[in-house]
Amino acid sequence: MTRSRHASARFAPGVALVAVLALTACGRGAESAPSSTSAPVDDEPATGTVELWAPDGDAAALDDVLASFREENPDLDLQVTLVPADEYTTKLQSAVAGGAGPDVAQLYTESQAQFLAGGAFAPVPEGLVDGGSFFPGAWESGVLDGIAYSVPWYSYTYALVYRSDFAQAAGAKPPTTWDETIPFFEALQGGGAGKGLGADVGWDIYNGQDVTQYLWQAGGHPMSDDGLEWTLDTPEMVDALTYNRSFFTSAIADPDAPGFLDSQPYFVEGRTGAMMTGPWVIGQLDDVAGEDGWTSEHVATAPLPAGAGGSVGAIAGGSWGVGADSDNPEASWKVVRHLAEPGTQVAQYEALASLPAVRSAWDDPAIAHEPLLDAFFEQLEDAETYPQVEPWAQIATQLGAEMEAVAKERQTPEEAAAAIQAFAESLGTGTE
Amino acid sequence: MTATTMSGSPPAVRSASRARGSGGLRRSILAWVFLAPFLAVFVTFTAVPTVAALGFSLTDLRGTDLRHPFAVDVVGLDNYAWLFSDGRFVRDLGNTAVFVAVGVPLTMLTGFALALALNTGIRRLRGVYRTVFFAPVVTNVVAVALIWQYAFNTNGTVNQVAASIGFAGPNWLGDPGLAMPVVILLGVWRNFGTAMVLFLAGLQAVPEDVHEAAALDGAGWWRRLWHITMPLLMPTILLVSVLLTVFYLQVFDEPYLLTDGGPLGSTESVALYTYHQFGFGQFGLSSAASLVILVLVAVVSFAQFRLLRPRT
Repeated sequence: MTRSRHASARFAPGVALVAVLALTACGRGAESAPSSTSAPVDDEPATGTVELWAPDGDAAALDDVLASFREENPDLDLQVTLVPADEYTTKLQSAVAGGAGPDVAQLYTESQAQFLAGGAFAPVPEGLVDGGSFFPGAWESGVLDGIAYSVPWYSYTYALVYRSDFAQAAGAKPPTTWDETIPFFEALQGGGAGKGLGADVGWDIYNGQDVTQYLWQAGGHPMSDDGLEWTLDTPEMVDALTYNRSFFTSAIADPDAPGFLDSQPYFVEGRTGAMMTGPWVIGQLDDVAGEDGWTSEHVATAPLPAGAGGSVGAIAGGSWGVGADSDNPEASWKVVRHLAEPGTQVAQYEALASLPAVRSAWDDPAIAHEPLLDAFFEQLEDAETYPQVEPWAQIATQLGAEMEAVAKERQTPEEAAAAIQAFAESLGTGTE
Repeated sequence: MTATTMSGSPPAVRSASRARGSGGLRRSILAWVFLAPFLAVFVTFTAVPTVAALGFSLTDLRGTDLRHPFAVDVVGLDNYAWLFSDGRFVRDLGNTAVFVAVGVPLTMLTGFALALALNTGIRRLRGVYRTVFFAPVVTNVVAVALIWQYAFNTNGTVNQVAASIGFAGPNWLGDPGLAMPVVILLGVWRNFGTAMVLFLAGLQAVPEDVHEAAALDGAGWWRRLWHITMPLLMPTILLVSVLLTVFYLQVFDEPYLLTDGGPLGSTESVALYTYHQFGFGQFGLSSAASLVILVLVAVVSFAQFRLLRPRT
């Protein structure tokens, strides 16, 4: 059954509520299309009040990162509010719906579509930043119908992070193709790892995104080129699901552990020999091990193994948007422009190891001298963007659930591909 | 015809009636004044959201409509039709039924057994036991769920104890057949204290002399329990069963914190499904799902009152 966005009104009499009467009087036709850009932003110091929201985590050091901006803009009252990450999307949704959204908000690069498509954020002013200075996937994630609505702040993609000591003991080299993947993980087990791979097994949106990554590596795409149809029941999707399943059926990964929070302790303890994960771990493993220099002695990184479609990763991270209803868009965009500068993004890296979305920041010695990040940089150059349509988060979550059933051999990859296609079609693309 | 005959009552009676009338009006106003804070909270946080949810459930309101929530299409009962065609929702209805069918009697039995023990068996330190048994009700569920998560991990406390006596423990939270019992157990653990306190109050209201008379007539403990205590306790049983049924029909914290509905969706309740839909920006759909819960609660509670109310 397809849930049409323009289904005819079949309204049972007797439940005529005030709210619904108001609804029937309106329609989507009343919405106005956004203009292509906002007014240009000058170089004068920002003034007035700007309220900024961000999820805690990567934004935890924002006050320090913005200290110099505050000094340069003494007449600006910049109010930073950190919201618990688990509640961030819901709180932002509620605030926007209630007309009380912040002037500036951090958006998750990979799932910002539901906000951007709803017109909750203003187009990026002409000349504010150079879109070409960012990793292509990071910038494109904020572009809808040719109009940019958000500015990238930090970016990440997954790469293969493995125990170099186990690989050395087994005489194994990191895999470059899918065919070499399972033998490599088996070799890590031979070199001392309990399991070759620690797959994050929350069986949620992140697993759905993993499968999507494998889909790209298999040469497929989740949507048609025109973005009007889901293309999830394809031979490439079956290949992606089969590849992911092989981690579990080959007994190099456990379908029940570790979960996200356990993945680093498992890796440090040697219960797993590798992770396909983001760059944040590089700065965290020393703390988990309780030993400075542990990471450089025990860890190596490599780009993801390539399938028939190449070694493709997925872009994710954080971007900044300015609310369409902001009372102070001029100053808000100045804040965003500052956050997009290479120096600010390096400061953010130094504070919390968030990797810059602007490519020139990677030339800074603080990042350039960290060899374990090379694989991530290489992977960021070949990273795709998740579908920028509103139902994507729900479909990716369901794909994670379908993958769980495949990993636990409750259904075949073919059945899972058909199921996720039917589910996606029942939701539509959000563009009808 | 005089004024008296026209009014149908003598002047003295009319005067008293007026006095009663003005006193009644004062009492009525006073009652509304006392009720006003509750009504304000009820209207703001219950009535208006419920009516709004009903309205939203008839629309295709989604995350992309946030700036223009009233500029959506009315889709009639499409959301409800979609829900019942969604295998996940139907599965979650079944999961919720299991929560109710197993959780309610288990919680009631545990609470009743402890209340009985406190009322008759345990003489010393009764207050201490009562406090200890009630503690789970007031304990922070997030902290408890984290402890349970560690306890039931594959390498958790439970399996370590099992290993120490030579048994290999299973994967409690990763096995679809075992995760549900663990989640229900947490629900029972959190709620038996409430049931116990209510049953204890009910048991203490049963007149002691009735028991003594029955004992003198030769009735044993079980007969007195079945023929005296239980019938007199029926209003409490009804109250506890309705409260617990409403709780388990809306169960959210336990599966959310312990398993987030997994593995393979085996512990996802309808309330958790509703929450997930809300997170996806499916506001029309999540409103419809929440109203399904509301209807279920109303129907089941009504049925319980009809079936369990004391016959006069």
